[in-house]
Amino acid sequence: MREERTKLLLTWLGLSFMVIFCLTPFFFMIMVSLSKDPTFLSLQKVKYLLTLRNYIHILRAGSLHFPAYLRNSLIISALVAIFATFVAGLAAYAFSRYRFPGRVLIPLGVLGISMFPQISVVGYLFKIMTGLGWINTYNALIFPYIAWALPLALWIVLSYFMQIPQELDRAALVDGASRFQTLYKIIFPLALPGLFSTALLVFIFSFNEFLFALMLTTDQAARTIPVGIALFQGLHGEIPWGHIMAASTISSIPLVLLTVGFQRYIIQDLTKGALKG
Amino acid sequence: MNQGLKAKGLWGIYGFILPLFLFIFGFILFPVVGTFWTSLFRDVAFLPKRFLGLANYIRLLKDPNFWRSARFTLLFTFGSVALEVALGTIFALLLNEKLPLRGWLRAAVLIPWAIPIAISARVWELGYNYNYGLANYLFLKLGICSGPINWLGSGTGAFLSLLLADIWKTTPFVTIILLAGLQAIPEELYQQAKVDGTNFYQRFIKITLPLLRPVLLVAILFRTIDALRIFDLVYVLTHGGPGGMTTSLSLYGYKFFLSSDFGYGSAVSVACFLIAFSLSILYLRVGKFGRN
Amino acid sequence: MKKILFALLMASLLLVTCTRREGKLTFMVGGAPSEVEFWEKLTESFKEETGIPVDLIRQPTDTDQRRQGLVIPLKSKQKDPDLFLMDVVWIGQFAASKWLQPLDGYIRREGFLLEPFFGRVLESADRYNGKLIALPVYVDGGLLYYRRDLLQRFGYRAPPRSWPELVRCAVKIQTTLRRENPNFWGFGWQGAQYEGLVCNFLEFAASNGGGFTTQEGKLCLNLPENIEALEFIVDLIHRYKISPPNTYTEMKEEEVRSLFQSGNALFERNWPYAWSLHQSGGSAVKGKVGIAPLPGFAGKPGASALGGWHIGISRYSDAPAQAWEFVKFVTSYKVQKELVVGLGWNPGRVDIYDDQEVRGKIPHLQALKGVFQTTVSRPNLPYYPQISEVIQRWVNRALAGKIGAKEALDKAQKEAEKVVRAYE
Repeated sequence: MREERTKLLLTWLGLSFMVIFCLTPFFFMIMVSLSKDPTFLSLQKVKYLLTLRNYIHILRAGSLHFPAYLRNSLIISALVAIFATFVAGLAAYAFSRYRFPGRVLIPLGVLGISMFPQISVVGYLFKIMTGLGWINTYNALIFPYIAWALPLALWIVLSYFMQIPQELDRAALVDGASRFQTLYKIIFPLALPGLFSTALLVFIFSFNEFLFALMLTTDQAARTIPVGIALFQGLHGEIPWGHIMAASTISSIPLVLLTVGFQRYIIQDLTKGALKG
Repeated sequence: MNQGLKAKGLWGIYGFILPLFLFIFGFILFPVVGTFWTSLFRDVAFLPKRFLGLANYIRLLKDPNFWRSARFTLLFTFGSVALEVALGTIFALLLNEKLPLRGWLRAAVLIPWAIPIAISARVWELGYNYNYGLANYLFLKLGICSGPINWLGSGTGAFLSLLLADIWKTTPFVTIILLAGLQAIPEELYQQAKVDGTNFYQRFIKITLPLLRPVLLVAILFRTIDALRIFDLVYVLTHGGPGGMTTSLSLYGYKFFLSSDFGYGSAVSVACFLIAFSLSILYLRVGKFGRN
Repeated sequence: MKKILFALLMASLLLVTCTRREGKLTFMVGGAPSEVEFWEKLTESFKEETGIPVDLIRQPTDTDQRRQGLVIPLKSKQKDPDLFLMDVVWIGQFAASKWLQPLDGYIRREGFLLEPFFGRVLESADRYNGKLIALPVYVDGGLLYYRRDLLQRFGYRAPPRSWPELVRCAVKIQTTLRRENPNFWGFGWQGAQYEGLVCNFLEFAASNGGGFTTQEGKLCLNLPENIEALEFIVDLIHRYKISPPNTYTEMKEEEVRSLFQSGNALFERNWPYAWSLHQSGGSAVKGKVGIAPLPGFAGKPGASALGGWHIGISRYSDAPAQAWEFVKFVTSYKVQKELVVGLGWNPGRVDIYDDQEVRGKIPHLQALKGVFQTTVSRPNLPYYPQISEVIQRWVNRALAGKIGAKEALDKAQKEAEKVVRAYE
């Protein structure tokens, strides 16, 4: 009985710690974004005044280009999510249905490739993009992001496809459908939740990506949110923390909503990816 | 299960795999080879290009800043992974309990993972601010120290600051994976052990850990390779400082790209790649071993 | 299905082309808010006069980040930005990397006069391989700011002409004033690990007869005069204690200016920009500030590091002729005069310094003219940023008291030699 009680106490203490640990920086960010003076925690007594001014400023100030960064991030991430999932779906169909040399090794190899450090790719990628004239365009980010997201997307979609029995395929083929039609009309609809959650993960990854965006874009024509906020300097000698936190909060909202809203899918995907390995 | 249909017409299925190949070859494998190739040259914006063979690597081996970056990166990786796994295990154990509001708790845990590193790094940057950061405010209020600490101003301080920011961001991932592993352990084993009169600690050591091992290994290896390539956090929070003491390998290479010395920067990148590559081979070996 | 995808891909490519700025001039600027406002007004008047629109791209305040923001578009041969401001120390790298348009053609064709500019600055900074690739917009040199009222109060007639004199004066006044104001410091200067530290160190070293190059022009950091100078500034923090301990962790231009402007410092080493801010409303030291050339060591003349920003045209610009019009506009007498009167900056044109109106409004400009004609330059090498990083690191370590002055400079020299070998 004693053990039960201590266990309960420890559990509640542990959970409180966990929640405080995970949420404090998040709430700190929001608090500063709503504060007139970001230095309200300093030793000199600075009052905390609630205001929306920071938000208004970053959305209005043309030279900060924050809306442009947001737009770029959303469009690029969405396009990458769609294309990467589609390409992964195509390949996963082949890997899950057909025997051919490399059927096992290739996905494993692809997973190994996902371990590459971005730095080993970005230097030459910069040269390629310069040569193509794509620096500071959406293409400079879309194509590498798709490539980079494919390993994880492939594994997740593959694990979903493998759960779909092949009898369905045979039935469709017997009815005279082509392989592509089978995929499009039968497999995709059945695996839709899996495809959706893959696209979700890819979206989150693309939105968060930093190094490629840092090196392959130069201004608001194609620059994304993470780089925009990292380089956010403002006009004063002092760093405009209020503005930065407001921008950060706005940028975090879509991701937090997606993550919390679809947490079941996300958790499924992450664990599939890991347990498979 | 995967008996697989015979491939009818080779181009048929290869057509399905082709896009995957094109993307991965074109935008990952080709650039990696290109980086290797560039590292063999003197490729500086203001000097004529020249073939150097392995000269950049010799310079690398003699470069104390490179070794310092490597030391920092390795120390940081192992420190971070150890702490994440420990904390992640605790969190996973907690979340595994039958609790009310479980969905909300899980959501809370996912929030650090959802926020981009570059953004959360700025929040931490403010948090560690000497004059008005949250860290010093809490420390002073709780009486942990008498004066404000200059977190980002010393090598040790910056290292610890980075460590905390990193485990905050990555523990959720480890937690989720370990939680799935925990949920796969049959309840009957615990019931039987309770009947046999063991306490919590014994059950943990004898049942939980061994059955969790494969998942732990996966989490550790994955996170290790991921931590080795750290860039975002270091770039935004400390800019590699103070004095280059928290410059990770990736950041070190990047700095040379910015000075338009692509040759040497590529050599650093290759070094970083080789370290990650050897570890990924290890990962695949263990993965295969785990399956069998 | 495939058609939809194809359409999507085309649409995304179209999006790409739509976001290009066609045919406009783009100009990269950075710095403090007053600076950006000034440029905004300027580009508007330029548009009125010539009809050419200019887009401003705003950069961060930090000079290293500004350079990084330029290296990527230039290295990738982007058409934007057409024009940009360069810190005097980057010109070597940019010119050697062939990122700048030579201006000699335009100068010869239009009979553009170079005499009105500071000859020394033009020759040491704006020329590469004999070609002129930039023009100075404003020049900078380190200065000594001092509290006239405090010196008077303690019976000093004039600001110190030598460093030992400055130390004696600062110790005396600081000890007395500390009784009322525990935050008072004798001497604020930039010692944090960044480019500004190199300027400060160069000034101290050169004012002792040292510098970064030998007589033959070879890079040499550990001259005995430099070591002495480094020992001296380490003492300022740790022995005489007239400079605060965060000199080597935090003190950059703005932090030092804050210290002095809030009334908490007797002497300040800073750039000329601080003057008008010290004299602005709300400043605790308004009307109490004097400026003087920096002191030297016993018997030797003081030295002022050459700073400043120059304007250049990108070699990949798609509108070089219009860009040249803008360059002429910015370096014209009229605009340079506005620069002085409006921002308190020091024009790159010498003739402004003799202008009656300017002399009336900014009397100390005459003194500055002399300073700018005798500045000491940082090495104009294409790989200067790497050398600077080496100097910054070792000098800062010495300032932190972690290493001796001689050891620091010897190690710096060894590392610098490696850099030279790698890039020559």
